[in-house]
Amino acid sequence: MSSLEQIRQGIAAAPASANDTSDGPGHGGGSGDRMRAQSELGRGWVRFKRNRLALGSLIFVGVLVMVAVAAPVLAPYSYTEQDLTARLLPPLADGHLLGTDQLGRDVFSRLLYSLRTALMIGFAAELVALIVALGVGLWAGWRGGKAESLLMSFTDVMYAFPSYLFSVLLVVIMGRSVFAIILAIGIAGWVTQARLVRAQVLKIKNFEYVEAARSIGTGGVAITVRHILPNAVGPLLVTTSFAIPGAIIAESGLALLGLGVAPPTPSWGGMIIDGYTYVLANPHLIAAPLALFSLTMLAFTWMGDGLRDAFDSSEEDHA
Amino acid sequence: MLRFMARRLVRLTLSLVVVSIITFGLLQLVPGSFSDLADVGSTALGDQASSDDGGLAGRYGDEVPAWEQYATFMRGLATWDMGPTYKYPQTTVEELIGEAFPVSLSLAVPATLLTLLVAIPIGMLAAVKKDKLADYGSIFTLTTIQALPGYLFALVLVLIFSVGFGWLPVRGWNGPEYMIIPVVALAVQPTAMLARYVRSSMLEALRDEYVVAALAKGGTKRVVLVRHVLRNSLIPLVTVVGPIFAALATGTVFVEVLLGIPGLGRLFTLAARTRDMPLLMGTTLFFALVLMVMNLIVDLAYGLLDPRIRHQQRADSRWRRPKRPRMLRGSPVLGNNTDHDGGGGGSPAAGSPDAATSMGARG
Repeated sequence: MSSLEQIRQGIAAAPASANDTSDGPGHGGGSGDRMRAQSELGRGWVRFKRNRLALGSLIFVGVLVMVAVAAPVLAPYSYTEQDLTARLLPPLADGHLLGTDQLGRDVFSRLLYSLRTALMIGFAAELVALIVALGVGLWAGWRGGKAESLLMSFTDVMYAFPSYLFSVLLVVIMGRSVFAIILAIGIAGWVTQARLVRAQVLKIKNFEYVEAARSIGTGGVAITVRHILPNAVGPLLVTTSFAIPGAIIAESGLALLGLGVAPPTPSWGGMIIDGYTYVLANPHLIAAPLALFSLTMLAFTWMGDGLRDAFDSSEEDHA
Repeated sequence: MLRFMARRLVRLTLSLVVVSIITFGLLQLVPGSFSDLADVGSTALGDQASSDDGGLAGRYGDEVPAWEQYATFMRGLATWDMGPTYKYPQTTVEELIGEAFPVSLSLAVPATLLTLLVAIPIGMLAAVKKDKLADYGSIFTLTTIQALPGYLFALVLVLIFSVGFGWLPVRGWNGPEYMIIPVVALAVQPTAMLARYVRSSMLEALRDEYVVAALAKGGTKRVVLVRHVLRNSLIPLVTVVGPIFAALATGTVFVEVLLGIPGLGRLFTLAARTRDMPLLMGTTLFFALVLMVMNLIVDLAYGLLDPRIRHQQRADSRWRRPKRPRMLRGSPVLGNNTDHDGGGGGSPAAGSPDAATSMGARG
């Protein structure tokens, strides 16, 4: 059975497939009541874990994060240590699992550290984007009026302006430090999410429980934080899980253009562009980062797909 | 129609001005002004560098206030005379762009054609085989492909065809065989996107009554599919192909840099790395211009093909553009936009096959 079919069954909470028995007997009203008692997140999780591809991807992402954190322990060599007598060694030669690069540095160690770079910048940049998006989106959605039309016109301009161009410009200005790159990617990426937050607020603020909260005198900030935000968490989780690989791609792209984190800090894009000169004789210099990069992207994508199906409400960003 | 066009042109110009102000403002913050760069040049090359700067100091020197530099540049942009660049004082921005843009175009045009040629049959097939293995398989593959950036495909192709078989050159720009890898690599992602779009668009058309009518009239399945369903689902395709082309004509930065192709993307990167303000301004604005003009053409073409859009737009607010398929808006989020009952998480309605399979894109 294809995994997509399973995803669909997950959404429908329809009678699950035979191998999917972990979730107890009830698919009827009883189960529904139990689910309703849970939070938005809890309900999503119940649906998410039925999707084995997504669950596997989540686990894989977890492993990647652990590997990245433990890179100094796992890496057999330092990522800066050059050995000019052992340049461009093939894989498995002389104690180098994936060989060495043009400066005699261990490719495997550099790969681990570049995973660290990618994940750190990916998560941090998305955090920056999320904070800005939440601030602007909540404000625009709740207050409407001027704030809203300002946001909308700004996003119109930003759509005509590819985000990587913006990132490049910001890096040119701020330099190639890790902090600058995080900011550059985050600032270039918040617009779409701000629109999503706004759309969510517009939707949720018409619900009866918001009206009820307002009628008993709850203030705007309290309603936003206590009632609107928790109910928008599903779609936000979905966009975030897609935005993180986007930020990783942006980081690698910048490095590819020679505008990523300053050497010798390794990055997939940097490893690719440096190794590309030697690709004919030493394809492992490209193949190694390419493989890990692709696997990381796929894991994030499948995880995101699973989340989207579990929360089933990624919204149009207009409205 | 004329009023619509005029309004769109005004908005295009305004957006361009906003982009230019943002870019120029940001570039004012860059450490190292023109005169710093000129000093470095003159110490390295002797004094003739400064005497031969093509009037750079007069345009962007320290004594010229920022707003005047901006005004000079924008006047230059409007008259297509943007003057010399920092790095290459002997050539002008418009000359460099004029050399690079045809190169980018010669990748973008074949890549767009390839996208159309491959994506439409795949999308049709997936729609016809809806809910069968071929459909799930192709949709899964397409979603997966869409998540990977184009330069990764270029690398895979290089590893297979250049390193493995030795059939194609690794990098450079020297004849048709140098175009194959970049064109294919560039086409992969748009193909995945377009195929999904064709699929959902066809599924929507299949549900319409004229399909039933055509079948009832005795049309064979094949004739109905090609003549009625495909034709009608091609109208919204215009909205997708335009932006795809614009993105390919400008967004080839990474592939160009990787494969050493002297197109616009590489020019932009060069300008960014050397902090060449005039060249960076010129390429950025050119990018924005191409994207916006393409959007405008798409909107106009769409309005001509489907008059309903024009009426809809008149009712819209000032800031709204016509609905586009969600996949084009930069966010890879493609959910189904079904129910709005936040409480009924597991409601069976949300799981009806149509809701779950038509991947959004009801633009």
